Amino acid sequence: MNTQDQNLSPADSLLLINNMINQAKNRFSENGFLYLLWGWLIFFCAIGHFVLIKLDLFKHPEIIWASCWLAVIYQIFYLTKRSKKETVKTYSENIIGFVWMSFGITMGIISFIVGKTNNWELINSLLLMLYGTPTFLSGVVMRFKPLKVGGIICWVLAVVSAYLLPIYVLLLLAVAVIAAWIIPGYILRRKYLLENNAEMKST
Amino acid sequence: MEFKELDPILHSQLRLAVVSLLISVREAEFTFLKEKTNATAGNLSVQINKLKDAGYLEVIKQFNNNYPQTICKITKKGIDAFEEYVKALQTYMNPNDQQ
Repeated sequence: MNTQDQNLSPADSLLLINNMINQAKNRFSENGFLYLLWGWLIFFCAIGHFVLIKLDLFKHPEIIWASCWLAVIYQIFYLTKRSKKETVKTYSENIIGFVWMSFGITMGIISFIVGKTNNWELINSLLLMLYGTPTFLSGVVMRFKPLKVGGIICWVLAVVSAYLLPIYVLLLLAVAVIAAWIIPGYILRRKYLLENNAEMKST
Repeated sequence: MEFKELDPILHSQLRLAVVSLLISVREAEFTFLKEKTNATAGNLSVQINKLKDAGYLEVIKQFNNNYPQTICKITKKGIDAFEEYVKALQTYMNPNDQQ
């Protein structure tokens, strides 16, 4: 590309603008890794918690959820590293980042309130409801239907949870993360690998 | 019928490509702009400086893992100029609309 402008007609200019905007817009940077990490972690924690309650092996089976702190530490490390590698930052990634940050803060506040008021039986239903919001909004911003559907499934399961005993809500949690994070995570991963391979071949 | 004057800063292939890329993202590294425009580093650097001098771009130079990194962002003035440029282009494309 050169800097000569004498031959740049209005039609050429519009075509160039269109091409460049499409090049920036079609970049697909979400590899689905964090959806899969959290999806599988919550899945195993929920199933593990359910099994530990059923087997009655420990006094505090909920201790299994402490493993989430390890994932939080790893996520901070992963996001810092990814941010350093990225050559471009988009508005949509920024919005999605803030949506998930709001989710984390809301989850912290809800856990605090539930702990203070000793309403632990409610926590998993509230979590189901909470998972729906950032998942659905990420789907809207990314124009990615599996996340939108996943978010809606979380909300439906939150309503269903009101009719079940708290121990069975753990199983709903496992179903919710399969629908909201694990399946979309694998689809995102496949899409990312396909697009990046195509980009590498074209260069 | 009146044709609007095209902003000479933007009416250049490489500078227009850079601004068009930056209008759709929050910020981009020099390497990203180089890859997308297929321009040489020297030429791109000169054109980015022209856009910066016009106040259309904000250029941040920093180090990332001991490597120099140049980050470019479009400014409010740059966005306004781009919008004006597109409006001016439209007068050439649809002259009847101006009558």
